[in-house]
Amino acid sequence: MNEFSGTFAISASGMKAQAERIRFLSENIANADTPGYRRKTAGFEAEMRGGKPTGLVVIGPPKLDQRPLERVYDPGHPLADESGYYDGSNVDLVVEIADAREAQRSYEANLRMFDQARQMSQSLLQLLRR
Amino acid sequence: MDLRSSIAAQNYAASRPATAARPAPDESGGLERLAQDFARTLEQGERTALAAMSGGADPHALVQALAQTELAVETAVTVRNKVVEAYQEILRMPV
Repeated sequence: MNEFSGTFAISASGMKAQAERIRFLSENIANADTPGYRRKTAGFEAEMRGGKPTGLVVIGPPKLDQRPLERVYDPGHPLADESGYYDGSNVDLVVEIADAREAQRSYEANLRMFDQARQMSQSLLQLLRR
Repeated sequence: MDLRSSIAAQNYAASRPATAARPAPDESGGLERLAQDFARTLEQGERTALAAMSGGADPHALVQALAQTELAVETAVTVRNKVVEAYQEILRMPV
């Protein structure tokens, strides 16, 4: 049953990673109007133990998107400079929604793998029942 | 004559170990380890469930631990049923 246990662990790590990714996405969307906010992207990394990959995936430290910040014209804003512009955030809502959909699909894929491993183990044990 | 009988005795002595019962492989260690493994899986499932209820563990770990526990319990129950079935089969044997 070791392989099935390993599959459970790997699928669970994938689901956890996608859940963390969607947390970063919600953070980006919540801060879409924050001046000077740079969008965060989740860095997926293969987990290493003793210098060898274990097959699990972990989320590393978030990376900040280095695209230029959006220049917003609003002379009445307290952060506006002499020309009337201030730095907004570089969050693009369309990109965030597409990314969120991708995270959802990846989560579902991991969920299916988990369920499949469970069904396989159960049908293997079913052989002994009759 | 004497020579042949001594050779026969030697051959017999040499073939005796072949008919002796082989020492049983140490199965108790394996079974014990299996039981300990099973107990540990169960214990981890319980601990994770407890942690998830009190907000310590994430739900993925809970589901993973419970699925592993389910798998372990099912395996144990199936093997036990098989063993009991075999024992009853022996008991039913006409002597």
